[in-house]
This record gives sequence, C-alpha cells and structure tokens, in this order.
Amino acid sequence: MPHQVAVTVRAPIADGRGGDLSRLLASIRRQGAGHNDVLPIGDLPGVHFARLFVLEETADLDGAELPACLFYMADVDGSAERHLRDLSTVTGHGVDALFEHCDGYPEAPTATARVAWLRDHQVAPAATYVHAVGRSVDQVHQEARLREAIEQFVDRPAAIPSQLTAVEAHGRIRAFATERDDLLWSVRPAPRPGLRFRVGEAIHRVALPLLVLCLLPVLVPVVLVAALRIRLAERRDVPETGPPAAEHAHELERHEDFVAQNSFTAVGFVKPGKLRRMTMRAVLIGLDYADRHVYNRDNLAGVRSIHFARWVPIDDGRRLVFCSSYDGTLESYMDEFIDRLAWGLNAVFSNGVGYPRTRWLLFGGARDETAFKNYLRRHQVANPVWYSAYDELPARNVDTNARLRADLARDLDEQGAEAWLAVV
Amino acid sequence: MTTRLELDDMQGLLARGYGSLPYATFLLLGIDDAAAARSLLARWADVLTDAAARPADDAVNVALTADGIAALSPGRGIPAGFSEQFASGMTTAYRSRLLGDLDDDDPRGWRWGGPTTAPVHVMVLVFARTEELLADRCGRLADQAAGHGLSVVDRLETGRLGLTEPFGFHDGISQPPLEGLGSGDGRGDPVRAGEFVLGYPNEHDQLTARPLLPVADDPRSLLARDHATGLADLGRNGSYLVVRQLRQDVEAFWSFTEAATRTPDGRPDAAASQQLAAKMMGRWPGGAPLVLAPERDDPALAAENDFGYHATDPRGMACPLGSHVRRANPRDALEPRPGTEQSLAINRRHRLLRRGRSYGSAERGGETGLYFMCLNANLARQYEFVQHSWLNNPTFNGLYDEPDPVVGPRRAKGTYFTTPARPVRRRYADLPQFVHVRGGAYFFLPGIRALRYLAERPHRPTTGRD
Repeated sequence: MPHQVAVTVRAPIADGRGGDLSRLLASIRRQGAGHNDVLPIGDLPGVHFARLFVLEETADLDGAELPACLFYMADVDGSAERHLRDLSTVTGHGVDALFEHCDGYPEAPTATARVAWLRDHQVAPAATYVHAVGRSVDQVHQEARLREAIEQFVDRPAAIPSQLTAVEAHGRIRAFATERDDLLWSVRPAPRPGLRFRVGEAIHRVALPLLVLCLLPVLVPVVLVAALRIRLAERRDVPETGPPAAEHAHELERHEDFVAQNSFTAVGFVKPGKLRRMTMRAVLIGLDYADRHVYNRDNLAGVRSIHFARWVPIDDGRRLVFCSSYDGTLESYMDEFIDRLAWGLNAVFSNGVGYPRTRWLLFGGARDETAFKNYLRRHQVANPVWYSAYDELPARNVDTNARLRADLARDLDEQGAEAWLAVV
Repeated sequence: MTTRLELDDMQGLLARGYGSLPYATFLLLGIDDAAAARSLLARWADVLTDAAARPADDAVNVALTADGIAALSPGRGIPAGFSEQFASGMTTAYRSRLLGDLDDDDPRGWRWGGPTTAPVHVMVLVFARTEELLADRCGRLADQAAGHGLSVVDRLETGRLGLTEPFGFHDGISQPPLEGLGSGDGRGDPVRAGEFVLGYPNEHDQLTARPLLPVADDPRSLLARDHATGLADLGRNGSYLVVRQLRQDVEAFWSFTEAATRTPDGRPDAAASQQLAAKMMGRWPGGAPLVLAPERDDPALAAENDFGYHATDPRGMACPLGSHVRRANPRDALEPRPGTEQSLAINRRHRLLRRGRSYGSAERGGETGLYFMCLNANLARQYEFVQHSWLNNPTFNGLYDEPDPVVGPRRAKGTYFTTPARPVRRRYADLPQFVHVRGGAYFFLPGIRALRYLAERPHRPTTGRD
C-alpha cells in the first residue's frame, strides 16, 4: 500500500499565451476534470485530488516583476516520479497542450523529455497534510462499495431479524461479505504503507526532536529574542481591511459548492526581512512534523474536514501558496479554522503581508472573524480545474467506511458490535 | 456583560413575533417614483412599531431589499458595507446552488422575488389583533403606498396564528434566548445580541460587518456614530430578514409515512405512520421532543426546550441524527466534543430568530405552507449555513444521502431517511419532496433612524458624469 505525496509543477507562462491557456482551462472545466479531451485526470492511477490554476503576473514587495505561472498540483498514491511518468505516458498530449503555453517547453517532446521537463519544474512543499496517511484511492473506492453492499443487504426485509444480538447481527453481515467473491478482500485488513516509508517516518519522528533537543541551548535564546522582535514588528503591521472586490468574490463562487467538497488555493507575500522568513520556515517545519506524526489518522488539530493540504513557498520564499481540498462550504471551513485552529493559522499566516493583527505570533489574528474571512477571500485564487476522485464523500464518511471494513472481520463484544452497527 | 439594547430604535420584529396579534399580511411593494416613496418611508419611520412598544391592536414593520435601497436613491446604488449575500440577493446562480433552489425550486418559477416577476423593493409587515383591524390597516397602508409612487407587487396573506404548522406539528417552540431581551425559552446561555442585531457584540465578542458611512454622507446626523471609527452607523439596530415562501405538500407527507408503515398484509397503521412522521420531525405533533419522549407523544412536554442530545441519545435511537429539529438546531450534538460547552458554543453561532407565519388551510383546499422568516446579523454564517450545511447537506453529521427528511430538496441519486434501532437501523428510501420554494428575498430590517436616513439619503450632486 502506497503512501501519499504532494506533486507540484509550476511553470512561467510565455508572453502573450495567457489568454489561450485560460480558454483551454475553461474547456477542461466545462467537460469535467475527470474526463475531457485534454487532460483526463480520471484516467491517471492513484490520484486523490488534482488542480490547475494560474497565478497572475504581479510585482513583489520590492517592485520586481513576477511572471504569470501555471500550476499543476496533485495528491497521489506512490511517488511523485511515478505520477510524472503516468502524466507523460497516459496523458502526454494533454501535458503538451497545457505546458506548451509555458516558457521553454520542448517542441513535440518524447515521454522521457516530458518527464524530465516536469521534474525540472517541480516545487517542493514545506509542509503537507494527509487526512489518513496510507489510505489509497483504491481503498477509498473499495470501502465505499463495501458500504453500499452492506446497506443493501441490511435493507432486505429478513436479513437481520430484530431479535438478534449485536454480535449475531455483525456475524450475519460478515457472513454476507465472505460469501461474495467481489467482497472477499474486505475481511482482510487494509495493507499498510511500505516498509521503507515506515522506517523513514520512524527515523524522522525521533530525529527531529533529538536535533531540537541538542540545539536547545542555542534555540532558547534565539526563540526568545525572535519572539520579542516579532512582538515589536507586530505593532507596525498593517492589516488589510474590507471585503474582497465583488467581482473577485463572484469569480471564486463560480467554482464552488457543486459537490460535497471544495478546493481552496490562496497566495500571499511573506513580510519582508529575515526574521519573518525564518519564523515561517521554522513554523512550517514544526507543522509538517505534526502533520506527519500526530495528525496523520483522521484530523488536523480537531478539524476533520480536510482531505489534503500543502504549504508551498515559492519565489525563494518571498511568497507562500496554501492549497487544500476540504468538505463543505468555505464559510464552514473558515469557521472551523477560527474555532479550532486559530493559533496554528496565526503562526503560519501572520508572517504574510496584510494578515489580521496578531499578538506574540499566536494570539488575535484569525480570531477576528470578519478580518480573517475577508483576508482569506482576498488572497484566494480561483481553481478553474479541480478534480476529486470521490467528490461526494466527506473525509468523515471516508473514515466511517474504513472503520466499517476494519471491524468487519474482527470478533467484537456486544458493545463493540453495537458501536459498529451504529455506523451501518 | 449584558448588552443594553436601544429598543426604541429597533423595529419590533426583533423583540417579538407578535404572538398576541394573530392576523398578519405582508405587502410586497415596488418603487415606481423614488421621490414620492422617500417621503412616505420617512413618514412611516415615525409611526412604525419599535421594540420598546407592546402593541395591543396592531403593529407595522418595514424592510427593504438591496434593489429597494438602490431604487430609493437613483444613481447611487446601495451604500458599501452591506453583506455580499444581501447586496447580490437570494437568486443569483451561485446562491441558488448553495440554497438548493434548483429544478422545481428554481427562482425562475417563483411566484415572487424571482427574475421573472416584478422586482420587490419594500416589504411592509402588518400584524393585527383581529381580521377587521388587519384589513383596515392594510387598506390604509396600501392606499398610502399607491399615492406615493409604490405599487403592490404581491400581498402575502397569512393564516390565523395558531400553534401548529400545516403538517400538523406544534411549531415555533425553540427560539434562541436573546441577550438583553429576556425573551426566548430554554435555559442555557443567552445568545449575544449581536447575532441578531447589528451594532452589538456577537458570539465572537465582535461587531458583525455592517454599513458604516463617511460622515459627509450624513450631514444632518440622522445616524448614530460608530464608537470605534466615528463613522455614521447605518447598520446599527438593524438586522437581515430572510423571507421564503415554502409550499408544504401535506398530502404527500402523510401519504408517504402511511405507505412506508403499512403492516405486512398491507393495512395502514396510523400509530406507526405518526411515529415515522415524528421521527422525521424530531418532535411529536404535540411538540414533545423525541429525545425525551421516544415512544409516544406527551402533552406535558409540549413546549419542552431544555434538553441536549449527546448524553441521552448520542446515536439517535430516540431522535434520529437526520431528523429536522436535530439538524436545524443540533444543540450539543455536533463536533468537536459533543455534549460539551464547546459544542454548544459552536451551535450558538448558527442560530436564527424565527418569525414565520403559515398560510392557507388544508380544510379549505388550495395551497398551504409557511412564510418562513428569520432574522440574523450574518447571512453567511447563520441562515445560509443552516440551510446548506445542516438542512440540505446529504452528509450532515456523518450521514449518507440524507438531506432533511421534512424540508430538504431531493437528490437525483435518491434520498434516504434512517431511524437508528437495535440491532440494526431501518432505512426509508426514495423520500418525495414535501416542501417547495415559491418565492423569497433577503431584506434589511433597518433601525428606525436608519430607515429615516434611507428615506432622506442625500442625492449625489448631478455632475453629468454619473
């Protein structure tokens, strides 16, 4: 069973080609991201989520020009290398059709040349979040089918007579699954990620705290000084005010709330100076650690509605791109942020220009509801193309399906069986 | 930290549903002549019912749509700072998707408020003690309107206010206890006034965004000044009023529960039919909540509103997770940490002050339903959230393919309703749609000074460039 990786490809758009590209993206969107005549993402194996978007040309804080860029992002099972190969072989023409709008894309490339070009344009995230590490797309689909089959079985009038105990009812359902050849897999446990991945994670899990421990004598004074300097800097911060322009808000709405999930992409400048850039880097290292080793089962600090998220510094750390695929509306997503994650958001995003005013990096900020919601909306970027492999399943329901399968083969006591039957 | 409300600047509808005035009509008006309409609204601002009054005979309140505010001051649009939802209205393509107003509920087929009917600018809400008083009051108001460049687009006549809504259930039991008013029922912390009235602290202990104008736009100081910014506060003591005309298909509702509960030999089972209806609603027709009265209706619990779900019924064995009342007001049932103050605190940020009245009567035939009305300060976080993420959401609270069994729209792939039970749940398939949207709009229910301001809002000098 593979683990999940975040693939990001970024390429500057060639002069004068932006209009053509946005028409192409619109055409993919009209046909549907999964199946279309350009880049049928649904044909690629192991893709949970994918998106294409454009960051328009802008100038950085010093006035230097930043060109418009096309981004391709995907959350995939396996490895980035394998996904780039799949892209290049299965949807090679689509890759050409998209990236030929970009600087330096080879003419009529071979599959190998394509992979090499994409590899050269990859950007590494500083932190990633995976709702359930190790759960593949295939597993999500399989377990959803298992649920449907069990539901239909239980719907049959005499399937579970009412005098049965919970243990007996659980047994009947297990017997049903074992008798079906197409469901036999469900009584075996889901495979775990590969050994090499697990060893690597185990080492990382220990190594980072050890390193921090060793550096503690240096880190403590550094952190104290940094904290004071940040507090002073915060007093000079200039938070942005007011809602986003109505046209911008309407453009974002055009892409939202069609299915149970939505995509979120936002970009912003990091505040000038080494202090803010270092702080953000340090926070993202900590965040990535927490995501990998603590919040790797079914929630991000109590928020259960995020499937995947990533934090990607670009332009030598002058800008940060944040992306996620989440359940429900942006309104409910932002509410969950404010209720449960305000300090975490503050730690990362208060290093961004225009963020609502914070105190000591962690306090204030996202707790100002109006300012925070306006800030996110203003910095949000529309995703003209977004793909989800299971767009009607909230993460919580994916978890429920996994639990249905995990405990199907297990021998449960009466209480355990009752709890299990409650999610049928 | 109790907030003192400026009751004499708030319209009465914020303080009360006028339960002692059982007759009501809502006049929907369109503005044909701005200047004449302005003079009439200024007059009405002097006579309408404020929240300090306890009217014995009749009450009049006035609300405006965004189009109405714009129509009052031609060429000026609406002032900045109103919420985006209000400014762009209930019937944009996006909002229809969000609110579930698709297919048969598409605004293009609405009786009023949609793109194919005359624009609604002003709503006059008239409440009275008797039918005669109502007719008299409405007649005079309609005459005044006609004489001041306002035409009556539609007239929403309500039925006499009783205890039950058209499906036959005791209605209007649960209202959020509102801070500073001592109204509402149920114990528990009152909801901060700012959740319903603009200009006061909300559940985040902050002031909800509202229109604040440069003082130059209010040269006669008609509006109060915002303490923090010194700006003229057009939002203060106002609220957003959501109105939706919901047709209730009473016949379809009870036919469904009857057909779904027939005995094995095909005979109807009235008790089982009523029990299924109660499971779908979450309360018995008499009002008793299922979580307290799981087996049968209990008149002693008819108005009971002091209960939670998590401690006694975490899995919905008594009151199904998908039932209407458990999703319209989940109390302590939702994450994080159901059953705790944290869960209740989140619930308090999604409350609505309901002011609806039903219309039509099953006996007399014809259409029956509800003029759903609610007041809230933040349309996105309150009304739209409840409508989309709680009522219409097919995966609400971990469910599958289950929008609200009573009021929700239906899905192409089938709509289910599940009643948890031992050893396994029972699942009802293919629920028909029982409630249909026939009209609606977002209104602003201004404070009284704000209404006067809107009626006298300065015109921009004509420079020829506008």
